[in-house]
Amino acid sequence: MKVTTAVARIGERALPAVTIFAFVLAWEFWVRARGIAPIYLPAPSAIAVELYRMTMDGSLLYHLGLTLIRIFAGFALAGISGILLGMLMGMSHTLARIADVWIAALYPLPKISLIPLLIIWLGTGEAYKIVISAVTAFFPVVISTYAGIRQVDRGLLKTAVDLGANQRQLQTKVVIPAAIPSILAGLQLGMGVTIILVVAAEMIGGSAQGGIGYLLISSGQVMQTEKVFASLVVLAVVGAMIIKLQQWADHKIAPWMFQSWR
Amino acid sequence: MDVVVSQVSKTWETGTSGVLALDQVSHRFGSRRFTCILGPSGCGKSTLIQIIGGLEKASAGEIHVSDPARAETSRALGTDSVMVWQNLNLFPWRSVIDNVAFGLEMRGVPRPDRYRRARALIASVGLRGFEDHRPGQLSGGMRQRVALARALILDRPILLMDEPFAALDAQTKIVMQEELMRIFEQTHKTILFVTHAIEEAILLGDEVVVMTARPGRIKDTIAINLPRPRSLELVASKEFGALFDRVFHLIRDEVMKAMQEQDSGTAGPS
Repeated sequence: MKVTTAVARIGERALPAVTIFAFVLAWEFWVRARGIAPIYLPAPSAIAVELYRMTMDGSLLYHLGLTLIRIFAGFALAGISGILLGMLMGMSHTLARIADVWIAALYPLPKISLIPLLIIWLGTGEAYKIVISAVTAFFPVVISTYAGIRQVDRGLLKTAVDLGANQRQLQTKVVIPAAIPSILAGLQLGMGVTIILVVAAEMIGGSAQGGIGYLLISSGQVMQTEKVFASLVVLAVVGAMIIKLQQWADHKIAPWMFQSWR
Repeated sequence: MDVVVSQVSKTWETGTSGVLALDQVSHRFGSRRFTCILGPSGCGKSTLIQIIGGLEKASAGEIHVSDPARAETSRALGTDSVMVWQNLNLFPWRSVIDNVAFGLEMRGVPRPDRYRRARALIASVGLRGFEDHRPGQLSGGMRQRVALARALILDRPILLMDEPFAALDAQTKIVMQEELMRIFEQTHKTILFVTHAIEEAILLGDEVVVMTARPGRIKDTIAINLPRPRSLELVASKEFGALFDRVFHLIRDEVMKAMQEQDSGTAGPS
């Protein structure tokens, strides 16, 4: 009995990996059996070979490095400014009322539609890629921060007042810590859109400035389909790693979020 | 500390109309006495002690808090009392010790000093070894002890308790009631204890104030002259049974009224 349950448990753990492996295997088999041309659909083995080649000649690291720097620059800019404005909005009704109108007008606007303007103003260099991703990520961060501060449990505020907290202590010792889970949720959303916007900006930027997005579009234009797939694989893996890293950081910053109350 | 409530009313503004929660409540809560405020849910009993604690404003009436030993100088509301809340309101991001030391931290007591006092109090409520746990890692009864310690550390003469044991299971509740009786018998603070449990009110109180369904008024006050120290065996005694019957009959009509009111759909903040 014990052995079978242990096996079952391992099986359950391994199941996701098994499905991926089976999918790749079926893909390889299908491409070979049907003799599909590599420009339409390269076999996984061919993609792996391409990945290996890109790693060895350093081009993968170069493009990935550029993309990562842009992602973190855009994210940092959006994170810092978004948290700051969200907190100020939480503390000043006047500011909240003013900012609310701007956010309501600008948040639903697809930020990709700003790309032509930003290219006119900033060119196709680093500034444009960082600004477009930061502008996009800014909104979820500011909205979540403000919501977190506004939705602080009134009972906790009353308790702190009862225990002698003054206005400043109320902000620093109760309101801000209570808003941290909401701020972290905003940062998660912000990171997601930052990755999307950086890659999109690299694809549209045109000139040879590198990055995974540039690699994707330039390989696609010359039908180097293996390279396109290799870039997609890298993007998926790195994206997943960033999200996991962020979840790990959330556990470190706000461990109480992950403890049940019962 | 004497707490003298005179003609206190409270109206909750709900858009155009107002809901009368407390209607001209007057009572003298005696110094160093344990008073239980008993009433059906929504009778404004929580509102009353929050007003006494300076955490809500009365719409009308006056409250005087004064030391009977000294001259008739009324103190500002909230300065002599501390609250223990029904839903505890522990700060989930703070460890047990930082929750307990919160009041001292707000006063600017340096860390070594406030930790020393918090540790002693944590030990006295039986939580030694849990100083660095967070509330989310504790059971209901343990969290209740943290909330109690957090209030006791300020050593204020008045303890306001808003149905503090309502959410506990039966066994834990008994232990906490005994703990509170011990604290009262040692410190003789002035305790105002809100509850809707008749047995609890009689077991703990020197006096039971029975309130009416909304709007909250004081229906009757019953002195509980059972000897202290008390223990749970008291519940089986004849005197206890007689008191229970008396209070039960007072409160039954009010509970029925409150239920009818709820059925007809007039709800408000409790």
